Amino acid sequence: VSLHARPEENTLGGIVGTGRRRGRDRPAPKAVVRATEQGATLGTAYLGIGGGVLCAIEAVYSLAKFFSNLHRYTDARPTIVAWVLFALAFAIVCVTLGRRGEKFPRPLFAAYLVVLAAVVALDFIGIAPLHDVGAFATASVTAGFGLLPMVTLRPPRDLLIAAAVLAAAFTVMTATTTDLDSASLPELVITIAIAVVPLVLAVYVLHRFRRMVQLELDRVLVQSTVTAPRFAVGMLASEELTRLDLAAEELLDSIAGGRTPLPLEPKTASKAASLATELRLHLIEGRRETWLYHAVTESEQLGKSTTLNDPGSLAGLLDPAQRDGLLSAMWLLVADGRRTPSTTTVALGPVLAPTTQSVRRTITIPIVIQTTGIPRARVDTAVWLAVQQVGEVTASMEDGSLRVAIHCVVTNPAGQ
Amino acid sequence: VEQALRERDRLLRECARVVGLTALGVSLLCLVMPGVLPGRLLVVVVLLVAVVGGCLVRVGVSTSPAWPVVGIVAGIGVVLIAAPVGAAVDEPLVTALVPLAGGALSAFGIVLVGSPRRLAVLAAAVVASTALIGIAAPRGFLSVQPVTVVLGWILAVVFAYWYGSGVPRVTASIVSIGRAHRAERHASETEAQRRQSARLLHDTVLATLTLLAHSGIGVSSDALRDQARDDASLLRQLRLGGSPVPTSTGSVVTQPPTSSEITLGHTLESVKQRFGRMGLDVSWHGTGQVLLPTEVLDAFLLALAECLENVRRHSGVSDAHVTITDDDDTVRAMVTDSGVGFAVDQVDAGRLGFRDSIVGRLDEVGGSARVFSSPGAGTTVVLEVPR
Repeated sequence: VSLHARPEENTLGGIVGTGRRRGRDRPAPKAVVRATEQGATLGTAYLGIGGGVLCAIEAVYSLAKFFSNLHRYTDARPTIVAWVLFALAFAIVCVTLGRRGEKFPRPLFAAYLVVLAAVVALDFIGIAPLHDVGAFATASVTAGFGLLPMVTLRPPRDLLIAAAVLAAAFTVMTATTTDLDSASLPELVITIAIAVVPLVLAVYVLHRFRRMVQLELDRVLVQSTVTAPRFAVGMLASEELTRLDLAAEELLDSIAGGRTPLPLEPKTASKAASLATELRLHLIEGRRETWLYHAVTESEQLGKSTTLNDPGSLAGLLDPAQRDGLLSAMWLLVADGRRTPSTTTVALGPVLAPTTQSVRRTITIPIVIQTTGIPRARVDTAVWLAVQQVGEVTASMEDGSLRVAIHCVVTNPAGQ
Repeated sequence: VEQALRERDRLLRECARVVGLTALGVSLLCLVMPGVLPGRLLVVVVLLVAVVGGCLVRVGVSTSPAWPVVGIVAGIGVVLIAAPVGAAVDEPLVTALVPLAGGALSAFGIVLVGSPRRLAVLAAAVVASTALIGIAAPRGFLSVQPVTVVLGWILAVVFAYWYGSGVPRVTASIVSIGRAHRAERHASETEAQRRQSARLLHDTVLATLTLLAHSGIGVSSDALRDQARDDASLLRQLRLGGSPVPTSTGSVVTQPPTSSEITLGHTLESVKQRFGRMGLDVSWHGTGQVLLPTEVLDAFLLALAECLENVRRHSGVSDAHVTITDDDDTVRAMVTDSGVGFAVDQVDAGRLGFRDSIVGRLDEVGGSARVFSSPGAGTTVVLEVPR
């Protein structure tokens, strides 16, 4: 019989240390998730307006072209109807976007596509007797531009399919009505390119824009760890503690109110056991992590490519400027690697023995950033500026990838 | 933020390259078609087109203003050679030059929206390319060809300007999101620390949860329900922002988080009440009016509760005595039971449970714990903390 036994929940079903790693493989704090969602539409409204402006410019050009050729049409009515239809649809889309903002429902998008298809069809009917698609296509070309404001609102796939369908329509129309020769071909190629290329390019630009925004957002969210205390609970653990307290409160409340009968069913009892275990772990272990640990675990970008090896929790000793430099360098190294997958391993410590008596007030922490897949030529100059903020830098190459060793001098915590 | 602007410029350069090379390819395709360009000019024109292409490739990766300038000059050269001013030019040839003048050259315009000097180059390029195509076109400047060239330039410049100004706007929003997030992190940290420092509260909650983990067997349902109600009420107080401390009356008194010293007495009563519900009768002796700093009091009470829990589980008796004494620099608690006892030297005093929950807690505040026991003769634990 032992006198001082540890409480026994651990043996009852709560498995120590695994309770916190649930859900998807890398849980993010709610605040981070919320900010990231916010970022998905950040700035796209402005770019959408830009798409509208480009469309309007092209429409003016095509209209001018149409009017200058008006006398050559045998029957201009289908094309005129096409233009009126396009103008109406585009105006409605602009007003809808102006009033309802970033919400453009799928049925409305489908209707808009149908109208644009009708515009293309009517324009083709109007120019078919002229036997030269390149020289006379106007409203049908503008229809491609009409999709530019949609680029920010609809998934890329929808728009690329639309672009492909438009290109196919032009090809079929050309094959059936136009004789290709050196006189008609140049203008035809130009016309089709104007109709299709801007849309495809816009989809690509927006993709890059969104990725840039997400990266920047991830960066500023993680930047907030730089000013954290030496040891911090972290947002994830903090949310978890709040959740556990609430779960315990609800369980106790339902027992007090008689909604949960006593003695407890085994299932509820084991829930109480795991609650107690998790709560105890959070109360005991809560304070042991440094800002750098939180930065790496909370960041989408760092989390997937960076390994942190800091057994002595020395990162907490770095001052804010050194932290900023280290974080920037780690960040730039992996965020810059867009094609080849790159990883970094950041190791801190062990602390170097002081060389002379006089420098007792500071200690030196060796920091090694070992990378894979990052050749020296690809390293941004900003990385060097950032690591110099941390301390004295020695860079070398290992297996064709960069290795940065930093002598980081910090205030001796024992001297404070 | 700098990173975002660099990424913006990189994207604009890449767009310039893709658009320019596409347009250049279209132009070249049209120019080499039989009958469009006189054979003697073909070699020179193709060479110059290659120069424009090379400049577009360089623009994709380099920020140097030399590449757009050289590219534009070479492009204007192509137009001048293929359609010299004053000569009669066939319409297909003029049209074939349109993607070059309005696409490949305007692609350079994407990277020229910036400093005044770059804008000057841009303006010169727009004027030169439009003028040359307009002069060569069969119906002058109102022909479709020069108008298309102007369209190409306008689209390129509007795109570059709009995207270029969109990025600083969005980075400003990102920075403000970052600021808000820093405040949120700070608040979350404070909140976590507040919850973690409510150790006394969590200790009673953990004790209750432990009982419940055993399905509440061995304790009367009414007592457990009362305890659950008290604990739920404490947790609610904590959630609503207070720092509740268990009290003797079973009601909850919310302490302001800043109070540094708390009287021992009323918290001792709550410990007594809790163990009473679980079937251990605790008798208090000695003073109850000792003032202690919060963290010392917490550690002291937690260790004390841990001792009583051991009595409840292992001693085999249902009552325990706690005697509190104090002198000038020490507060001492003696926990005594007349239960089964044990041989101190046969049980490792450094056992995790004892060390973590009692010795560890007291150590943190400069206190200590000693155990006296022998089989059949009960157990006494002495806890000491500094005042």
